[in-house]
Parts: sequence; C-alpha cells; structure tokens
Amino acid sequence: MTTTILAFVVLLPLLLLSCWLAPPLRQAIRTLLPIAPAPGLAAALLSRGTTVELPPLQIHLALTDPGAILLGAASILWIVVSPMLRRATDDRFVAWWLLTMAGSLGVFIAADLVSFYLLFSVVSLSAYGLIAAGSGPGVGRAVSVYVSLAVLGEAFLLLAFILLAVASPTRSLLIADAVAALPGSPWRDLTIACLILGFGLKIGLVPGHVWMPLTYPEAPLPAAAVMSGAAVKSGVIGLILFLPLSSALPAWGHALAVIGFTSALYGVFVGLTQRDPRAVLAYSSVSQMGLVGALAGMALTTGSGAAAAMAIAFYGAHHVLVKGGLFAALPLLGHEARAERHLLLPVAIIALSLAGLPLTGGYVAKAVIKPVLGDGLAGTMGMVASAGSTLLMLHFLRRLEGVEAAARWRSGAALAWWTLAGAATALPWIVLRPATGSTPGAALSIGALAEAAAPIIASAVVTAALSASRIAIPTVPSGDVAGLADRGLAPLSRVLGKAMARTDETTRQWPVACIALLVIALVLGATLAAGP
Amino acid sequence: VPAATALAIIVAGGRWARQVAALGIVVGVGLALALAARVEIDQHAINYVLGGWQPPLGIALRADGLAATMVVLAAVIIAATALYAAPIFGPTTEGGETRASLTFWTCLMAIWSGLAIAFLSNDLFNLYVALELLTFAAVPLVSLDGRSQTLEAALRYLLFALAGSVLYLLGTAIIYGTSATLDIGLVAARGAGQTGLGWAVALMTAGLLAKTALFPLHLWLPRAHAGAPAAASAILSALVVKGSFLIVLRLWFDVLPAGPGLHAATMLGALGAAAILVGSAMALRQERLKLLIAYSTIAQIGYLFLVFPLATGTGATPPWASIAWTGGILQLLAHAFAKAGMFMAAGVAAETLGHDRIDGLGGLAGARPWTFAALAAAGLSLVGLPPSGGFSAKWLMLIASLDAGQWWWAAIILIGGLLAAGYIFRVIDCALRPGESKPKPAAPGTRLREGVALALALTAIGLGLMPLRSSAFLAIGRPLPQEVGLQ
Repeated sequence: MTTTILAFVVLLPLLLLSCWLAPPLRQAIRTLLPIAPAPGLAAALLSRGTTVELPPLQIHLALTDPGAILLGAASILWIVVSPMLRRATDDRFVAWWLLTMAGSLGVFIAADLVSFYLLFSVVSLSAYGLIAAGSGPGVGRAVSVYVSLAVLGEAFLLLAFILLAVASPTRSLLIADAVAALPGSPWRDLTIACLILGFGLKIGLVPGHVWMPLTYPEAPLPAAAVMSGAAVKSGVIGLILFLPLSSALPAWGHALAVIGFTSALYGVFVGLTQRDPRAVLAYSSVSQMGLVGALAGMALTTGSGAAAAMAIAFYGAHHVLVKGGLFAALPLLGHEARAERHLLLPVAIIALSLAGLPLTGGYVAKAVIKPVLGDGLAGTMGMVASAGSTLLMLHFLRRLEGVEAAARWRSGAALAWWTLAGAATALPWIVLRPATGSTPGAALSIGALAEAAAPIIASAVVTAALSASRIAIPTVPSGDVAGLADRGLAPLSRVLGKAMARTDETTRQWPVACIALLVIALVLGATLAAGP
Repeated sequence: VPAATALAIIVAGGRWARQVAALGIVVGVGLALALAARVEIDQHAINYVLGGWQPPLGIALRADGLAATMVVLAAVIIAATALYAAPIFGPTTEGGETRASLTFWTCLMAIWSGLAIAFLSNDLFNLYVALELLTFAAVPLVSLDGRSQTLEAALRYLLFALAGSVLYLLGTAIIYGTSATLDIGLVAARGAGQTGLGWAVALMTAGLLAKTALFPLHLWLPRAHAGAPAAASAILSALVVKGSFLIVLRLWFDVLPAGPGLHAATMLGALGAAAILVGSAMALRQERLKLLIAYSTIAQIGYLFLVFPLATGTGATPPWASIAWTGGILQLLAHAFAKAGMFMAAGVAAETLGHDRIDGLGGLAGARPWTFAALAAAGLSLVGLPPSGGFSAKWLMLIASLDAGQWWWAAIILIGGLLAAGYIFRVIDCALRPGESKPKPAAPGTRLREGVALALALTAIGLGLMPLRSSAFLAIGRPLPQEVGLQ
C-alpha cells in the first residue's frame, strides 16, 4: 500500500495529463488539479523508508527522510495553489502545470541516476511552459535566459552522473551506491564541481541566479509560487542526495560555503534596489538558497552527514511554504484590494519568518541549522544573513504599496495564502521532534530567543533610519548581471557562428571537398597501412 | 530459413504501382521480422549461399544480429514512409500514374533492395552494387519536383557520390588483386599483414564517407535533403546515409584482421566531432525548418563516427560487445526514427502554413497538435533528453568515452547536446507562439500522415526503454567466422 502511494506521486499527475489530451475532460481535470499532488502528501506521511522498483522501466523510487520533508512541503504547496487555476483560460498552461508537478514531486523520490535526471529535466524544462504563459513584455527574454541556463545546468549534471556511474565499482545506477563510491573516484573533483555547477544553477547560486529575478515577475503568479517554492527545491534535494556529505572534503566544503554566503548577501543587496515586489521575492530566494548552499558547504567541510542533510531539508521545506505563501498573498494586496489592509500584519510575520522571527516557523528552522553552521565565522555569517533577510523583507513590505497584482489570480488566493501561512508557522514546530529529535522546549530558552531577535531588531532600526534619512537607493535592473553576460556573450557567439558558417561554406565548395576526399583517403591509408 | 533472406531482396525489387508496392511492403516487413526473430531464436548468424556456390566462387548472404536489426529498421521506416506518401503519390483522378508517383514508388523499392543487399551481403562487390543502387535510386528522389534548384542539388549529389564510388571500386580492385577474393571473411583471413589491404580499406572508406556526408564531405547533403519532398527526405536522412555508414563499420571491424588501430579510429572520430560542432552550429543559424533538420543530420552522423575510437579504445573487450558499439547502433536507430518523423512533420507543417520559415511557425501547435507533438518528441530524442533513444545512446557513449579514458569525446557530445537543445528549442518555442496567418485546411489524409510522423517520433522515444548496457543481440554472429566456405 505505502509503496503504491509512492509510485502514484509521479503517476497521478501524469495520469491526469493523459486525460487532458481528451478535450471534453479538460474542465473536470481543472477541478481535480488539487487531487494530483495528494499522493505526495500521503507518501510523505506514510511511506518513509519504502522503495519501489519498476524493473521493465528500470525506475527505482525511494523516500529518504530529507526527501519526505521536502516532498510533504512541496505537496502542500501544489495542493493549495492548484485551485487558483480553476478559472485559468489557457488550456496549455494546465498541461505544463501537471507536467511540472510530476517532475517537481518526483525528484524527491527518485533513487537512481537516470530517473533523477529524467524527473529533474521534467521539472526544469516544463517550467518553460509556465513562464511562457506570462503576458508581460519581458517574457521572451525570461524564457530564453531560463531555458539556456536550465539546459546548461543539465549538461553539467549529465556529465556528473556519468562520472558517478563510471566510478561505481559495480556499475550500480542507484544514487546511494554511486555517491558512496564517489570519495574514492579518480574523477572525484570534476564530479563534485559539475554537481555544484548543475545544482547551483538550479537553486540560483551567484552568478547562476539571473534567471530567478527575470522569470518570477514575468510568470503568472501561481507559476511563480510553485517555481520559487517547490521547483527550486529539486536543486536542494540534489545537493543533499549527491554531495558526499558524510565524508569530510574541506576544500570543496569551503568553496561551496563561500559561494553560498556570497549569494546570501548578494541577494539581499541587489534585492534592496528592486521596485517590483515579485523581483524582491526572487532576490530573497537567491539569498535563502545561498544560505542552503552554504549549509551544504559546511556539512561537506565537516562531513556531518545525515544530521546536516535533515537540517538542510528542514530549512528548505520551511522556505517552500513561506515563499509560496508570500506569492499567493500578492493578489490579495493589490490596489483594488485596499479593504484587505488588515492582511499586512500576518504577511509581515510570515515574511520575517524567513529571517527567523522568534516563535515563527522560521525561528525553528534557524535553530535547526545552527549546529550545522557552528559557532565560528559561518555562525556569524548566518546571523548576518538573518539581518539581511530582515532588511529585504521590510523592503518587500514597503513595496507592497505599489504592487500591480494580477487580480485575475484572486480566486483561490486567500485559501492558498492562509493555509500556507498556517503551515509555515505550525508545521516546523510539529515536525521538529520526529525530524531532528530535539524538543521544541529546548529551542525556547531566553538566550536563544534574544539571539534570534537581535539581528531583526538591528535591521529594523537600520530600515527606519534609512527611510527617515531619505537616501535614494539606486535601482538595478532586474536580473542584474544578465545584461553584462549578454553583452559579453552575444559578440562571442556571433563570431563563433560566423566562423562556423565560413567553415561550412568553404568545405562545401567543389575543389575543397574533392581535395578533402583525397587527403582523407591518403592519410587514412598511411595510418592503416602502418598497422594498428 | 535462408530463403527468407533471399526473398527479402527479391520482394523488394522493382515494383511499379502503389498497390503492388503495398503488397511488397507487407511481405517485406513480415520477412524482416521473421528474419530477426530467427536470429534471436537461433542465437547465431544465418548464412545463405546463393545458387549453392560456396565463396569464393559464389555469393554468400549473411544475417547476423546487427544486419537483422538494420533490415527490420529499413522495413519499418520504408513502410511508414509508404503510408505517409500514399495520399500524395496516389494515382491521379484521370486514372493514370503521374511521373512523380511512378518515380517515387520505383525508387522507394530500389532503395529498399539496395539497403537489404548492403546489410546482408558478405561480398565487397555486392556491396558496391548495393551502393550504386542506393545512389541512383536516391538521386531521382531529390529532384522529384523537377525544379531547377532541386535538379542542381541532385546533380551535386550524383557527382560527388560517383566520386565516392570510384574510390570504393579502386579499393575493391586492390583487394581482389592481392587476395583474389571479395568475400569479407576470406579477405580478412588472407589479408593479415598486407599493407595493400590497409590502403584499399582507406580508399573505400573515403569513398563511403563521401556518400555518408561526413564533414567535410557534406557539400551535397543540406540542399539535397532540404529540397526533396518530405517523404523522400525522411528516407534519405533516416536510411540512405546509414547504408554506407554500416559498410564502413563492417570494413573496419570485419575486413581489417586486427581491427582498425587507435590512430586511424581517432581520425574518423575527429571528423565526427567536427561534424557535430559544425553541423549543430549551422543548424542554429538556419532560417528554414528543412535546412535546419538537414544540418542536424550532419551533426547526428558525426555521433555515429565516434563509435570507431570508442569501440577500439577500450581494448580488452571485442568491439561489438562494448557499450560504445551498442550506443552507436542505438544512436543510428534513434536518429533514423526521430529524423524520419521530423522530416514528415516538417512536411505537414509546410503544407499547413504554406512555408517552412522557422520564425513563422507560430500557431502550428494549435492548428496541428499531432504534428507539433511529433516535432517535439523527435526533438527530445535528437537533443538526448530522457526518456528517449537519443538519451540512452548518449549515455552509453559518454560512459564508453570515460571508460576508454578519452574524455574529449565526452566534451564534444555534451557541447553537441547543448547546441541541439538550442536549435530544437527555437523550433518548439516558435511553434508554440500564437500564429499570424490562418492555417490552411487539412488535405484528406493529413491525419494519417501526422499519425505516421508521430508514431515514428514516439518509437525514437520508446528506444529509450532499452536497457543501458551492451546489447547481446547486436553481437550475435560476431566475430565473423573467417573459415567460411573453406571447409
């Protein structure tokens, strides 16, 4: 039974998708959308530790503990956001939605290299359809940047997975076996580099973050919610599953931690210059996922293994609920919705949950990752990141005044927002003990509360001072360095393209082709006649 | 049992009208499947000696696992093409056969028999006959519509292919001069240690490369493949270039007694790598869909030639048992299905929209969802995304290249995949956009033709379900028994 549920995590969305091919069923499917992710939630509750093999397809599924936490959070997000699509006019959007859902939930349970690569590709590439459904002027650029980076990331991952498969002495394709053999692999460093590049692009580590601020403001709001909340976590589970967290590799750990903390701070600083609240949320994702990257780096430094993996998943799951909830709240806070100003306080609380506001779910999440960061420099950086998140979220709340929220997504948004807000606050407290073994009471000491509150209070003071002094904050175009990269890459690709065209034209001339023919015959002849 | 192989050729001979061709195709497909089943059951190659004369005097046919696979591939693609083309090249309402349809069906059958000989024959001169048959049947297909551009393209193709034939024949002559036989097994047995054999194989290879359009010998391919009608392009790209590739494969691994040696194999691999890069980059720059697909063929042919260094490089295993060998053949199959499906879908798209400019593909996904699905599914396999035959092939070849310690091929494969993603994504993205012009109403039979294209593309995807290891079926009947006919 529990194993059947596991298989249906992926199968049910695909089943609905195949029904979608029959136009008469489409209206019914739109109503049934919230059911599609339900097996994910059920599996997260019931199927931990089970595995499924589908031998003819060589698919292995298994639910690890970190996977279960992330799967549960992502399923909740998909369930509550799906009703927002009930009145969506675009049929194709629904199809992409189901496909992305299948991949997004599937990566958390994939247990072999090929299945993981398949599901990872599904969630990355079908998100293309979700972004392309946007109607803004920047959607074309958002799509091309997103797809280019997604494909690039997958190329890195393919290489990494091949290296993993080759390194495994038994040629096992199971992720657990392959990763266990990784520390002894002759290709170890290249593999880890490719893994970090591939998953780093997915979770938006600087400078691979440019797609986030470009796509989230352009995609329809529900799409932005599931992408920032659920889809990005495919990179998080990737880092957890594939990095050899149990063996200490300090050099790689430090490198990843530095990249992560850089992203965490970079996201804050550039996010402060943004005017669109969706872009602010995107940069907040860059910052939060930077912290996740740093956590993975610290875990790799010390080789703290399973405990660190749980902490990372815990932190990621909290982010799933909060970021999804904040996007879902946007339609409720638009110009036409002044009556709902009373929402501002709960939104503020949830937003500050990202910074670890005492008693919120984020407070628990910060407490869980504290041992991974340790007391040294990394611990201090964690505090700085919290302060930065506070700054960024206060900025977000101020930008809400000017949000041109798409009123078309209002239906269902209230339900989504309140459920996610409640889940983000309550679930971390409930899951804390079964997941990590520590009790909620231990987290509630006066010292811990004060330590968590300190960066938030400091940042609030800074924000107040900044707004009082009326210092003009410059505006950085959303996607910051993407423009620079364009300017650098465009001429390069033009030159390369022209060179290729010249090569092609030259070789397609008669004399050249005939000479080439003779040369090939002669050189091959000389080589072959010389013997093997 | 042996009669089946012979019949496959006879049936595939010159047939004239559509109805006769249909009958021939049904029988031919059945025979091909029977042949493959027989090889699978017997687990050894089937030999058939024509007329009871043993080599070196007689002509031997031989169906090993590889040949049987290829025969089935050819039969399936030919049958699919015939289904696709049936509504176009049917008899006119006046009752008579048009020139184009007569040419089409004749050439289709001729190509089929050419391929059957190329795959089954064990005699170098027979292979030459097969090559000529392929060339002379393929050229009229290119210029089927009789426009001056396609005539020019066909003429280019003819001339260059003939240059290739001359080299092949020269090589054959050298072998006959030194070994006094043209039977592949006997040549391999007698030719050990002869320098002449190396030169002969080199000449023949160069000639075959010209026919396969391996970079830099691809001058004829883009225009020939883009100018031919969709059904013909599908055959040319999926099968005809594969015929000569397979002969290269057999020359190098069957005729050369000690195998090709790493240096020579690396040279072929290098040409393949260049083909991948140049072909993919050129495909990115094309404005027209059919030219894009044609350049993509050049790139995909490049992948096939990576088999030579990869299968030789691992050393210990016999080449045909290596995963590179399986990967290469899988790539060949996946590309054949994907490319045939893609050309057919492009044909329907061009009819629907009245042009084949990529930028103007908008509205296709809404107007012809099946065609769009075929383009997308075929594209998936060409890019090498899972689940697809293209992905499995790429996976095996990447593993092989790291096993052999030849990481540079892995880099080329990955870059080629990125470029392919670029040009395929452009097509899909344009086709998903809203259209500007109203699509033309569907001609009768369009649904069927869309279905054929989609079925081929989905077969390419389905090949991805093959287990990710070396296939035992492809190794059946290898190595070639060198004492054949001597007992």
